[in-house]
Formats: sequence, structure tokens, C-alpha cells
Amino acid sequence: MNIIIGCALLFFGLFCHPLLAAVAEYQVQLKDHLFFPSQITIPANQKVKLVIANQDNTPEEFDSFSLNREKVIFANQTASIFIGPLKPGKYEFFGEYNPNTARGTVIVEHPKQEAPDAN
Amino acid sequence: MLINTVILFLRDALPIFVLVVYLYVHLPASKLWLLLCFLAGALLSLIYINQIHVIGQWFDGKGIELSLWLYQLFVYLLALVLAYGLKPSQHSNKIFLYSVAGLMVCLTLVSKGSNFILYFDGYLNQSNVLQSMLLGTFLGLGICLSLATLLYLAAQWLKQQLGPWATWSLILVYVTGQLVNALPLLAQVDLIDASATAWSSQNFVKNEFELGHLFNVLFGYQAAPSITQVFVYVLALLIPLVIFYWLKPNLASHSGNKL
Repeated sequence: MNIIIGCALLFFGLFCHPLLAAVAEYQVQLKDHLFFPSQITIPANQKVKLVIANQDNTPEEFDSFSLNREKVIFANQTASIFIGPLKPGKYEFFGEYNPNTARGTVIVEHPKQEAPDAN
Repeated sequence: MLINTVILFLRDALPIFVLVVYLYVHLPASKLWLLLCFLAGALLSLIYINQIHVIGQWFDGKGIELSLWLYQLFVYLLALVLAYGLKPSQHSNKIFLYSVAGLMVCLTLVSKGSNFILYFDGYLNQSNVLQSMLLGTFLGLGICLSLATLLYLAAQWLKQQLGPWATWSLILVYVTGQLVNALPLLAQVDLIDASATAWSSQNFVKNEFELGHLFNVLFGYQAAPSITQVFVYVLALLIPLVIFYWLKPNLASHSGNKL
């Protein structure tokens, strides 16, 4: 019995614990085969949700080798992709069907700390 | 558009070619079997694409990722069933084995081929890209056919040297790679955690390089795999190999033949 509970906890810890966490959303638009904004800054070590709205009349596939993500976004539809937690750095993404124009970067950085009050 | 089409062929058509070649060597079949598999797969792909908007709404918008991952899981499980045919007493049960192999091809065609249909459906009506897309299709098909021919010869040689276990092992490595490749689909809809990276070999072979694409198709190469992917890969590859290695002498003794 203990083995079963142990295996269940291991499975949950390895694969399912992100289900409990709340995530921030970032909106991205795809228009004329261009991503707006093309640079998205997100906090390090946090999972975020990219909500991509394809405003073109053709489908596009959001693709990123460094983020290890690929998702088809149908014409005039919206799709969501979860990314992270990521280490600080730059992660490029592109539209697989229009890689020359549809390009962007996810910039991951540590959240800036507010300067201490001088007074 | 030309390069895009070629890359699309490398990413989505090459896995189909590789699986068909491995199965064709493993279970030498008639051309009619191959044609039937392609027809059934193409039909299923069209049905899948026709319903993809509905499927996409399932499970709170996670339907496409879940369905594509399930296809890969079924292909993996069918590859394990295929090992049943290695038992000498089952050699006569060819119809069953061909059905399993046919189902594997069909499911792979649906999961990989649907991307083609979306791409060509979306862009083929644009007259300015038609020429480059057709040229890209010929180039992509040429590359896939060349690699498939080389793989066919290599797999044939392996089978002659080591027997059907060798080709089944090639199939197992291929389906395990595809299963692990599909794990990020679950991570991108937040069903599993696959963020912690096990290692990075980006400096040696990048995923986006041609060699990276080829290795990815052949054995699921990832330049920076997650710990979850490594964990699943090792288990999915080793458990069947250990079980069948353990069963091998038993099967041989039952049948009175040497495997």
C-alpha cells in the first residue's frame, strides 16, 4: 500500500504539480504574418500562459525549438500555450508557415526589485 | 515558401517514411497492403482535419494536444503488440500482424499528415506561392525518398545479420522517440511539468539543424530534453526490451525453435 502511495506521490510530483499553480497571461497578436509584440518579457522561474490571437485568414503554427513548443493556430482563432518556468535568457519563436516574417523572442529575466524609499 | 515546404516534409513526412520502411522490412508485404494503409490513413486524416475545430474544444481547449499524444501512445503500444509476431508459433498469423502494422501507419499518417493538409489548405489558394510550394514538395519528397531508400537497405542488412529482433528494435526505438517527442504537447497545455532540462547538447547538434531533424525522427533526439522526457524515454525503451529479452528463451523453448 505504501509503495502505491509513494508511486502516486512521485508521479504527482514529477508530472502534475503545475496543475495547482496560478499563472500570468500574456497576449500576443498575429497579423499580416507578424507577431505583436514581437518581444515578450516574462519573469524567470515562473510558468506563464501565452494567448495568441491569429487575425490572419490563413493558419499559422507557433513554433520554438528553444521553448520546445509547437501549436497550430487556425485562421481568425485564438490559442493558448503554457511556457516555463524558464531560466533568464532569450528564447526565439517563429511561425512555421511564415518563418521569414513571423518571428519573435521571449525574454526571460528576473523581476526588477523596486528601489528602496530614500525617505 | 520553398524552404518552409522542404522543412515541413523533413519534420512531418520523414517520420511516416521511416515507419513505413521499418515495417516493410520487418513484415515484407505486398504493395496492395501499403496502398490500402495510405488510403485509410489519408481518409482518417481528412476526417480528423474536418473535425479538428470540434476536437480542439474538448477538455477545455486541450483536445488537439491530447488526441495527438494519444495517437503516439497507441502507435507505441501497437509496436509492443508487433513483438507478438516474433514468437515463432505466431508466424502464420500474418493477417493480425499486418493489421497492427497498418493501424500504426494510419495513426502516424493522421498525426503527421494533418499538418500537411492544414498547410496546403491554407496557402495553396495563394497563386503567388504555388510554384515554390510545388518545388518544395518535389524537393522534400526527394529527400524523404532518398533517406527512406538508405534506411531500407540498412534495415534489410540488419535483419539478414541479426534476424527480425533487429528490425523490431529499430521500430521500438523509433516509436519511443515519437512518444517522447509528443510529451511537450502535454506540457504546453499544462497537463504535465516538463520544464526542468536534463542536459543541453545545443553546441553539438541543434534541433533546428538537418542532422537534428534526422536524429529526432530516428530516435527522438532532443538537444535539451526535459527530465520527464528522459525518464519516459528510458522506461519506454528498457521495460519492453528487458521483458522480451527475458521471454525470448521461454518462447524459443515452447516452440522448439531458436529465435
